Order: sequence, then C-alpha cells, then structure tokens
Amino acid sequence: MSSLFAAMNIAVSGLLADQAAAEVTSNNVANANTPGYSREVPVFDETPPLQVGNLQFGTGVDLATIEGDRDNILNNRLNQETQQQGKYDSLVNGLQQIQALFNPAQGTGLGASIDAFFNSFQQLSTNPTDPTLRQGVLIAAGNLASSFQQIASGLGTQQQSLDQSVVQQVSQINSLTSQIAALNEQVAAVPAGTQSGSTLLDQRTQLIQQLSQIIDVQTIDAGNNSVTLTTSQGVALVVGTQNFNLQAQVNPATGFQDVFAQGSDVSSSIQAGSLGATLQLRDQEIPALLSKLDTLASGIATAVNTQNQAGFDLNGAAGGNFFVPPAPGPGAALNLTVAITDPSLIAASSDGTIGSNGNAVALADLANKNIAGGLTPAQFNAGLVAQVGSDTAQAQTQQQGADLLVQQLQDQQGAVSGVSLDEEASHLIQYQTAFDAAARVFSVIDTLTQTVINMAGAP
Amino acid sequence: MPLRVNPNISNDFFAELQIVRQQQNQALEQLASGRRINSPSDDPSGAASLLENQAQADQVDQFQKNIQDVQPQLQAADSALSSAVSALTQAISLGVEGGNSTYSPSELQSLAQQVSGIRDEILGIANTSVQGQFIFAGTLTNAAPYVLNPASPSGVSYVGNSNVNYIELSNGQSAAVNMSGSQLFSNPAGDIFGALQQLITALQTGTGVPAATTALSQAYSVLTNQRTFYGTTLNELNNSESFLSNESVQLSSQASLIAGADLAKVTTQLSQAETATTALLTSQGKVLSQPTLFDYLP
Repeated sequence: MSSLFAAMNIAVSGLLADQAAAEVTSNNVANANTPGYSREVPVFDETPPLQVGNLQFGTGVDLATIEGDRDNILNNRLNQETQQQGKYDSLVNGLQQIQALFNPAQGTGLGASIDAFFNSFQQLSTNPTDPTLRQGVLIAAGNLASSFQQIASGLGTQQQSLDQSVVQQVSQINSLTSQIAALNEQVAAVPAGTQSGSTLLDQRTQLIQQLSQIIDVQTIDAGNNSVTLTTSQGVALVVGTQNFNLQAQVNPATGFQDVFAQGSDVSSSIQAGSLGATLQLRDQEIPALLSKLDTLASGIATAVNTQNQAGFDLNGAAGGNFFVPPAPGPGAALNLTVAITDPSLIAASSDGTIGSNGNAVALADLANKNIAGGLTPAQFNAGLVAQVGSDTAQAQTQQQGADLLVQQLQDQQGAVSGVSLDEEASHLIQYQTAFDAAARVFSVIDTLTQTVINMAGAP
Repeated sequence: MPLRVNPNISNDFFAELQIVRQQQNQALEQLASGRRINSPSDDPSGAASLLENQAQADQVDQFQKNIQDVQPQLQAADSALSSAVSALTQAISLGVEGGNSTYSPSELQSLAQQVSGIRDEILGIANTSVQGQFIFAGTLTNAAPYVLNPASPSGVSYVGNSNVNYIELSNGQSAAVNMSGSQLFSNPAGDIFGALQQLITALQTGTGVPAATTALSQAYSVLTNQRTFYGTTLNELNNSESFLSNESVQLSSQASLIAGADLAKVTTQLSQAETATTALLTSQGKVLSQPTLFDYLP
C-alpha cells in the first residue's frame, strides 16, 4: 500500500541526489584549471522498487557512484609519448650546449685556430730567422692547444654535470615510485565510486606522467585499480603496494654513476625519458666526440712532431718534439701542450743552415696532408662540426614530433576528462530545476498530509 | 552525441604561440647576422662546407701575405743588382779606356784605382742585407757572404752557400725567392770579382788590359742574365697575387652562397610570423573573453 510518507521520502531522495549532484558539479567547476583533474560525473540510480500486491512502486533515486571520466588507454599512450618528449627535450638541451662549443659561426673556433697554426709556419717561411715570426708560431700553437683544451674540458664538464644529474633523477624516480606505491595502497582501501577514489586515481595518473618524463615506464593494470610499473625493458619499479628503488652507483670502469636495480646494472636498458637522454649523452655522444677530438689533436701533434724532427732549428741542431707527444688512449685533446718555449727551437731549416725555410714550408703543408684519421685537419674538423650539427638537428626534429604528438594526446585527454564550464552550468541548472521540482512535490505532499490530518481532527 | 572537444584550449594556444615566436626569433637572428647558418644544426653539411671554405680562404690570405712579405726582399735584391750592373758598366768602360795604348802608366794607375773603388762598391752590394738578412748568401743569411782574402786570386772568398728557399704561392705551386752570390757574382761562367781583380792587375802592370776587359764583359753578361731571375720572379708573384685575390673573392662569394641569408625571404618570413602572432593573440583574446553559460544564469 502506498503512503503519503513514502511519497515524501521519494521527494527527499530527489532533493538529496540533486544536492549531491550539484556538489559534484561545483567540484568540477572549482577544479576546472587543476592539472590532471578528470571531470566527475554523478551517476543516478533508481532505488529498488517496492512490490505491493500486483503493483510496483518506485522508491526514489539514489546517487549510486561518482565516476571520474578518464581513458586509461589514452593515458598510457600519453605516457609513452611523454617519455619520448622527455628524452628529446633533454637531448636537444644537451646537444645545444655541445654545439655551442663547436660553433664556427663565432669565427674563433677550433677550425680558425688550426688554420692560423699552419699559416704561422707559412708566414715563417717568408723569413725563417725572424724572431717575431718564430714567436708568432709559438703563439698560434698555444692558441691551438687551448682551443682543443677548451672544447675537451667543456665536454668533460658537461659529462660531469650529466653524471650528477643521473643521481638526482634516480632519487626523483624513487620518490615518485614510492608515492605511486602508496597511492596503489590507498586506492585499494577506498570504496569504488567515491569522489576521493577518483581524486587518488588522478593523483596517481599525474605521478606516472611525471615519472614518464624521466624514465621509460610501462603501466600494467593489475586489477582492483592497482597498477604495476616496470621500465620498457622489464625492470620492476612498482608492484602493488611495494616500490623497488633504483640506485646510482659508481661504475669503477668509467668512474661514472650507473643505475642499478636490485644489484644489477640496468643503465644501458634505459631507453627514454630524460634519464635515457642523460645516459645517452654521457655515455655515447660525448665520448664519441671526445675520441674524435683526440684523433684530430694527436694526428696534428704527431705529424708536426715528425716534421719538426726532420728539420733543423735556428742553431743548426736537429729539431725535437714540437708538441708533448700525446699519450695513447683518451685525453690527447685535453692535454695537448706545446713542448718548446724557445722560438729558436722551431725547425724551419731543412738543411741545417740558418736561413733555410724548407722545413717551415713542409710544416705549413701539413695543413693539406691527410694527417687526422685519413683527412686533412680542416676536413676532419668540418666533419666533426657536421656530426654535432646533424645530431642536434635530428634531435630537434624528433623533439618537435614528440611535442606535437603529446599535444594531440593531451587534447584528446582534455576532450575526455576536461571540465567544460558550459556543460557544468547546464548540469547545474538541470539539478536546480529538479531540486526545485522535488521541493515543490514535497510541499504538495505536505499539504496533502495536512489535509489528511485535518480530516482526522474534524469535530 | 557529437565528439566532445577539449574545453581547455590554452595549451594549444601556448604551443602555437611558441612555434610562431620561434619562427620570429629565427628570422630575426638571420636578419641580424645576415647568415642563414647560425649554428651547425641549422644546416650541418652547410656548416661543414663553410668551415672548409674558411680554411681555404685563410690559406689564400696567407699565400697573399707570403707574396707581400717576400716582394720587398726581391725588389731590394733587384735594385742592388741594378746598381752593381751600372757600376760594372763603368768598370768596363774604364777597361776599354785603359786598353788605349796612349795612356801613361800613371794614368793607368789612376784607372786601376777607380776600378778598385768599383770592386769595393760591388763587394758592398754583394754583401747587401735586408733586415739583417744577407740576401746573396744562399741560406747562410746571418753572415756577409763575401770576405776579403788576399790569398784568393779574386781577392775575396765566398762563404755563403748555393741553397735556395722556396715559398708557396698557392697550394702546390712554389717559387724560388733567392739567388746565391755564387750564382750571381762568383759564377764559374763569369766571376765578377776575379775579372775585376784581373783588370786591376792588368791596369797596374799595363799588360793584358783588353783581355781582362773581355773577361769582365763576360762576367757582366753572366750577371745580367742571372739577374733576370728577380724580374721573372716578381712578375710571377704579381700574377699569383691577382690569381689569389680572384680566388679569395670567389671563396667569399661561395661562403655567402652557402651561409648567406636570403634577405627577401627572411623579411617575408618575419612579417608572416608577425601576422600569425597577431592573429593568434586576437583569436585567443576573443575566445577567452567569450561568455560561458554561467554568464546567463539568473
């Protein structure tokens, strides 16, 4: 049997549901500009009907759940692209610093020093006994050595600071994974379909996205709203409520910090994110450039030494080493040093007589000989600059591509999860109208109840 | 239901603005430097060509400097030899005069003295130094190549050598820049000092003057022959210099082809970027000031 009180209760359920829905809307509007916020949608549900005889009576409305509107597959794709973006951002950043060391546009680069060095021998050949010209050769040689040192030590400094940033990034990763593990635990504890559950998921999504900036992370749905995180090569980062810390440890072979996971070195398996780029710059890009620079420096030093030894100095004695002979192995560019300080020791003479210039001409001619890795010094240097330039240009192109993709995916994500104020306003009006109507229904039923009471109380 | 669009467009706006601003900066940089390549990544292979071009241009500049530096040495040598030639001409005419049988012994003595003076003059010329370098000493440039030696039939001895220096005029081309005294003054085909000594002795003794004069003429023609070396070399240097300045111009026009900014294009790019910025800002301003449904709520 139906009753006025049941009708009253139904009206109250409407009032409550609309009030709660307005609260959700209000929360959406408040968070319209919160990064990572997924708009929430109240889901209304009929309450179970009441069977009276043959009749079924509705019993009102219930706000069943509050759902966050998010697309997990889209989020995963966004994470993947964010990893590429993080990688190329760092790569471009690092390469641009490297490029500045090699920039020939400034006209004072290594190329200019090489030209000036060999030309100083050419100049000496016009008057081989002139002390000013001899001094000029030593000055040009000193400039050449310091150009090499400048680039090599610039690269070394950058390598060191990249090394330090490995430690920082590892600790950031650890901090993020421990927060994500904690959120995994909290999400499991919160009943599904509550506003706080959605908030936690948003937070976790944000953290995973931050993690994606640093390292190539893969998200695996572990059920129950929990996620497992590994690197793309399968190194576990978060499993359930536990996070596995990475460690930065010095690799004795290189002297640099490598990344260890549970005791094994995983540095080479880190492919993307800013950490991937940092490792690539530190372990591949810079060592390759340093080694080329060493080839050039030791090529020049060895050839000049050999030629200087073939001639005779101002005193008629056989020439010695012009540069300190580069030690085998890395460091030839960094340690390039002019061996002689006395200008008279430059072996300009080819026959031991004081005025002969034959060996000065031969020394100058080394500029056109293939003395560095099968190329002339100028060609080798040009190739080196071209390599730095094309590596940078390539990374820039890939960075632009990744930026564009991330932007598109963010747009898509926004289309799913973003708060539209128009939408919220229209929802608000809807809920207000429904609330008004429910209140009106309540007051009509109230009147009916009064009537019934008055009926009973009539004399 | 139509596809929902991202209600938050400011991200897109910022990204677009960034791109347009970048284009604007790039165009400005090119305009300011006049160069299309401002860092190697702008055009890696262009940057490499530019470096090789620069190396070549530096070398060409140096070759030009080489030429400018040796020219004064060569000119000094040539003009010294020119004085030697006129002094010798005078000595020869003195010899011809002395060959005249009507001259008395005392007159011959005075001619011998004049020739001896000329011999000293030529000795001075053969020992010419330019900036401390004895230019007729071969490569023993730190000491006077001719020293007096009474024991020698010519009265002097040559202590220089016959070595020759070459300087490079361009890649692969070089030129000798000195000639030793042994080629010029003590040439086996005609020894100037020997002939002069012979003439002095002949005038002093009054015998064999015509023969001595002939010997001197012989030595004279050897010297003038050898001297053409300097004229020829100076000519060659002039030719090389104009060749090199041509090359230098070519290299620099090549460099501007590689790296020069196309100013018309860059200016267009700049104004396009400016227009795009204005359009972007205008549209964003409009979008942001658009009312939402909230504005119409009671």
